[in-house]
Amino acid sequence: MNQSDQHLEDIKVIRKIMEESSRFLSLSGLSGIVAGFIAIAGAVVAKLIIEKNSPVAEWYSNPFSIDHEGRKMLILLLADMAAVLILALAGAVLFSSRKAKMNGLSAWTPVTRRMLASLILPLLTGGLFILFTMTFVPAYVTVASTMIFYGLAVISAGKFTFGEIHWLGVLEIAAGLICLLLPSRSVLIWAVGFGAIHLVYGLFMHLRYKG
Amino acid sequence: MKKVLANFNKVFESHVRLGIMSVLTVNKTMDFTGLREALSVTDGNLASHLRALEDAGYIITEKSFINRKPNTKYTITGAGLENFMSHIRALEELINKQ
Repeated sequence: MNQSDQHLEDIKVIRKIMEESSRFLSLSGLSGIVAGFIAIAGAVVAKLIIEKNSPVAEWYSNPFSIDHEGRKMLILLLADMAAVLILALAGAVLFSSRKAKMNGLSAWTPVTRRMLASLILPLLTGGLFILFTMTFVPAYVTVASTMIFYGLAVISAGKFTFGEIHWLGVLEIAAGLICLLLPSRSVLIWAVGFGAIHLVYGLFMHLRYKG
Repeated sequence: MKKVLANFNKVFESHVRLGIMSVLTVNKTMDFTGLREALSVTDGNLASHLRALEDAGYIITEKSFINRKPNTKYTITGAGLENFMSHIRALEELINKQ
């Protein structure tokens, strides 16, 4: 190895370590694809639940009710959402730890912890906001809020992983805002926001970063 | 050429030291375990390079206890950052000269 090769090697080491120690590079594109499919399935189930249990046709313009008639629908919808969230998260953990292992990296690092901390704060804020308001704001506002807060959480956590994830967050926020303008289409927009957008993002990242 | 070589810093003639400086440039602080994971080196090796960088005044060590376990955190100093940046510039210039 001559001198110049040695210097080039040094620069490569510096660049690699700076990137690895400041970004969570094990986030797997596959987990995005899986989350997309799960969300679409969840949206289909939600549509069926609403069609079967909603006391009124224009369910989206009323708040989610906790009286006897509305309670069943609300519980079923919350169970559906919880299932989507848990399965999508499990997919993310599974595929990302697999990718870390394949690249010989550790998945649980200070950067991972920092990324999760910046994800959880806006996500928890959104969750509580929705919980506290859902019984008196129209249902479509609640649906839109899930996408807007999730988008903000993704942008916040995005500083610690691949730069492209910023655009996933922006698209989620856009989907949430569009949902506010098209109340009657909220389930469809939710399916696009959490389903299609994740699918396309995951596929793009999987092909681009091979994993 | 002389000027470039002046910035070429002997203290950084080790991949472990370059690694430590790289991690501490992009992270405000990092503890010993974090550095060891980022660089995949042995405890003894890492400790001796950290000492060399501390002696050069490029990093500072802060010892504390978390749940009664000793925890050592490392932070880059102003001089450390400045010297590391000139070292990177020197490397780049040397490569571009070829």
